[in-house]
Amino acid sequence: MHSPRSARQVLLGPLTRNGRLLARAYPLIALWQLGEAAVPVMIGVVIDQGVDSGEVTPFLLSLLGLSAVFLAFSLSYRFGGRIALRAQQDESHRLRLEVARHVLDPRGVDDDRLSGETLSLATADADKVSFLVRQVGFTLASLAAVIVTALYLFTVDVTLAVLILLGLPLTIAISQAVSPMVARRTEREQAAIAGAAGLAGDLVQGIRPLKGIGAEDVASRRYARVSLAAQRSGIVTARSWGYLSGLTTVIAGLFLALVAWVAGTKALDGELSLGQLIAVVGLTQFLAEPINALGDLSAQAAASWASARRIADFLATEPQVIEGELVPPGDRPQVLLVGVGSGPLKDVSLTSRTGELLAVAVDDPAAADELVALLAGAKHPHVGHVWIGETPLEELTIAARRRAVLVMPHETYLPEGTLRSVVDPVGQLSPERLEQVLAASAAEDVVALHAAGLDHAVRARGSSLSGGQRQRLSLARALAADPPVLVLHDPTSAVDAVTEQRVAAGLRKLRQESGATIVITSSPTLLAAADRVIWIRDGRVLGRGTHADLLAEDAYRAAVLR
Amino acid sequence: MRDLLPIASRRDTTRVALRLLIRQPWASAATVLSFVVVGLAGVIAPYALGVIVDVVRDGAERSDLLPPVLAIVIAALVGAVAAVFAVSTLAQAALPALAELREDVLDRALHLESSRLESAGTGDVMARVGDDVRTVTDALDQAVPLLLGSLTAIVFTGGGLFALDWRLGVAGLLALPVYATALTWYLPRSAPIYRGERIAQGERAEALMAGIQGASTLRVFGHESMAVERIEHTSDAARGLALDVYVLLTRFWARMNRAELLGLVFVLTAGFLLVRNDAATVGAATAAALYFHRLFNPIGGVLMVFDDVQSSGASLTRLAGVALLPDVDREVRELDDEPVLEIAGVGHAWEPGVPVLADVDLRIAPGERIALVGATGAGKTTLAAIAAGLVEPTTGEVQLAGRTLAELGSTTVRRHVAVVSQEVHVFTGTLRDNLTLARAAATDDELLDALSRVGADAWLGTLPDGLDTTVGAFGTALTSARAQQVALARVLLHDPVLVVLDEATAEAGSSGARDLEDAALEVTRGRAALVVAHRLTQARTADRVVVLDHGLVVEEGTHDELVEAGGRYATLWRAWSGPSAGRPLR
Repeated sequence: MHSPRSARQVLLGPLTRNGRLLARAYPLIALWQLGEAAVPVMIGVVIDQGVDSGEVTPFLLSLLGLSAVFLAFSLSYRFGGRIALRAQQDESHRLRLEVARHVLDPRGVDDDRLSGETLSLATADADKVSFLVRQVGFTLASLAAVIVTALYLFTVDVTLAVLILLGLPLTIAISQAVSPMVARRTEREQAAIAGAAGLAGDLVQGIRPLKGIGAEDVASRRYARVSLAAQRSGIVTARSWGYLSGLTTVIAGLFLALVAWVAGTKALDGELSLGQLIAVVGLTQFLAEPINALGDLSAQAAASWASARRIADFLATEPQVIEGELVPPGDRPQVLLVGVGSGPLKDVSLTSRTGELLAVAVDDPAAADELVALLAGAKHPHVGHVWIGETPLEELTIAARRRAVLVMPHETYLPEGTLRSVVDPVGQLSPERLEQVLAASAAEDVVALHAAGLDHAVRARGSSLSGGQRQRLSLARALAADPPVLVLHDPTSAVDAVTEQRVAAGLRKLRQESGATIVITSSPTLLAAADRVIWIRDGRVLGRGTHADLLAEDAYRAAVLR
Repeated sequence: MRDLLPIASRRDTTRVALRLLIRQPWASAATVLSFVVVGLAGVIAPYALGVIVDVVRDGAERSDLLPPVLAIVIAALVGAVAAVFAVSTLAQAALPALAELREDVLDRALHLESSRLESAGTGDVMARVGDDVRTVTDALDQAVPLLLGSLTAIVFTGGGLFALDWRLGVAGLLALPVYATALTWYLPRSAPIYRGERIAQGERAEALMAGIQGASTLRVFGHESMAVERIEHTSDAARGLALDVYVLLTRFWARMNRAELLGLVFVLTAGFLLVRNDAATVGAATAAALYFHRLFNPIGGVLMVFDDVQSSGASLTRLAGVALLPDVDREVRELDDEPVLEIAGVGHAWEPGVPVLADVDLRIAPGERIALVGATGAGKTTLAAIAAGLVEPTTGEVQLAGRTLAELGSTTVRRHVAVVSQEVHVFTGTLRDNLTLARAAATDDELLDALSRVGADAWLGTLPDGLDTTVGAFGTALTSARAQQVALARVLLHDPVLVVLDEATAEAGSSGARDLEDAALEVTRGRAALVVAHRLTQARTADRVVVLDHGLVVEEGTHDELVEAGGRYATLWRAWSGPSAGRPLR
């Protein structure tokens, strides 16, 4: 069970979770930043003690000091950076999995994002959110450098120290003033880029229908329009980044000039040594870097925030199905519809029976879809009840529903793998059982077509197979799962008539030994093979009996033999 | 197993990038100019600080401080303005180039042969149009400005070092070999890890897509956790490689620090010796050290850009690889003869040695409706794809209006021969967007007419905004049957001479099939049609039925003739019509 988290929690989670790691990483990163800050000071020392004096020993000693500073900051960055990256990568991975788990929530997700967009949530957005872990480290390091520099400056000269301590927050404030604008534009640009990527993915997915009518050029032009919009948005964003960069450059430069003037006059008055002068101007120059970093902070954080909000919005989407807490008593409970009214269905009742093949002939596709949704528990009827054994379906746990009923929708997604792994993903079937399942679904023909047999590779979405082959493999997969109640929706619509008859016979025989089967279909071949047929027209049950019995009615004959 | 789309060579990639950048000559020139000014402005401050050191050391007047301080102020103002221009003109030069590149990539991808696209995997194409574009975009946001800024800073600062004293310049140059060693240590080691990281990210994207697109089926079987595990596994592999890359990076940085320290020591030592011999002032030595110190970031930046160049360069080669695919012939030629489709001696094998079609002859006259019947695996879909020009047969040839399909070119073939398969896709956008794919300039009346002819007017009224209703993943969901009606309406708008329907009514499910069959019948009216029939009702209404078995045409004739003949078709018909076979249906 998960409770939706706010964008703020998504954003800050990576920091709080990695407290211990970051407690080691951040001081090391700060040490690195301080070491970098110490370099101009050490240059001042070398010039003052060595170059200006012309003495060899102090010169060499000061060089040694300089080397020690380098060694210290180099090592601290090496290890601090690694720890921070570890935390960042872990968090990225974690968010990715969180998105994946939500996508694959057993209860379904009430979400209408394009697959490309969801992919982008799990990759680009997850990366942007976790980047904050590093961002915070470098911000803290920048702050540490500023503070320590200020302390050093106090020991050198109070006026200069006050000047820098007052000046710095002001310069940062000015930079921050434009940051929200940059952030807004960055967010728009990200959305435009994501939109373009989403459209590209959508077109690539519809490639075959697209090619069928030679619409490649029209589609290409459509993408070009969206791409152009993303480009324009990118240029606007870049311009604002330019302003931000110009602003920080001018602020840092003017501030340096001010410090140089004040320090220069003080040095002329003899209040500062030459080395201190060099150190002070060197430090002020160096400080431009942490100032820049702090200036970028809010825009960068805004990008992370935008990503965190997208992820939080996605994670907050509701499940499609209500999960109950009960598990049905009994070993192989049956499915019962009692006086169900839902959508186009009116007062429909039916019961599955073990060992029986029950066919439901439905004229209206919407009514058939409704029936499938009810049996799958994706919808709950507004009138009547769906029972599994003696328990209302909605009160059962998802796992219990699945143990009892497997509802195979008409459209299925075959994963990448081999024929064997498609039919038996967990490798639970004995060779004999696998053979039976393949024979019953006529999928053995598909296996026989390929030299590699069951090890023949299948591409994602089963795109290397024909519709009929996909359908038979899907059926084999459903039969392999061997559920107590199996619900099939038009399992043979893409299969030719002869094969269909084999499937009908095979299905009946195989399921007779293992459980109840409900087939929603209007195929005469399947109807003829069924033990019982329930005929639904205009949402109502119009007849019950065998196919042969019902064929006596002209309306039924017209409906199924047309 | 995957046969990924091509990757361009480095040279070809550079050529593509330059060609695209040259399209924006003014922006490109302004970018270069702005960066030069930024570089020049950057040299002023350290030099001015050196002057201040000398002023202080010489105990000169306070007013002598004014010129160097003013120089810093002016440099800051000029540098800032130049920075604004540099960043925005760069975007004006580079973003249109990038947009053009990604548009080319999608255009080429869409024009790929279906079989080529499927063998590469849509994930590969998605990764290129998505991840690779993002990597290159990020590089344009960060790496490229950094590279240009750093290079100008290095050139100007290095020049400044020499301007102070040539011996100081030489001392600075001595650091170069140390930097070079660091780089030659790093590059060969990082390249394979980066490649591996790319591949791992591709696999991660594939795993994520499989989970996202297959979610509902995975739920049916309770296999969600398996999919999550695969995502976890691939994501973990990508994470491991990212960490490996970083460890290498930090070791590289340590070598860079070494180079920085040595360079600084060289310059300071040179300054020390020069000052001791009165060959330079302390101010010059100070300025030299500050110059070299200022070089740390630009040199680091350039070397780090090597890194970004490697990763975004890899993305760029992948984009260029697709963009450089030969453009298809886009010219649509009119047919100059009666549009007869002639299939002669056609055989096909998807895998060598496993023929699925052998020596098929078939002639489709204008306006003739032919139904293709046979057991699954008989080769119906293959024959339909060959007739439609989607697949080139291993042997034999197909002619349309007296010319082979190869001569006509795929654009021309697609203009005259439309295909609707059982694969249904509702494109994101409005219903109008979905229809105008077939005829971009169609009027509303034409669209509505096409919809009503396929029977879609029955449900059009239930859509909230009619033609402007957003459909598909973002809007009103259309059932498979409705989506297929839209696909058939597209064929009407496209108005080809021949339409190939490959089990176009199968996806709807048998209960929805009849509406679709009426629609399919309407679409074939007045034009030649090859219909792969899985429901024999479709065969009954055809002008001629062709029965395929194991890749061979075994029977040919009208429905009644074939039923009468009592052959294979008659058997199929009995299986189909079941117990009532004896009773006439009409």
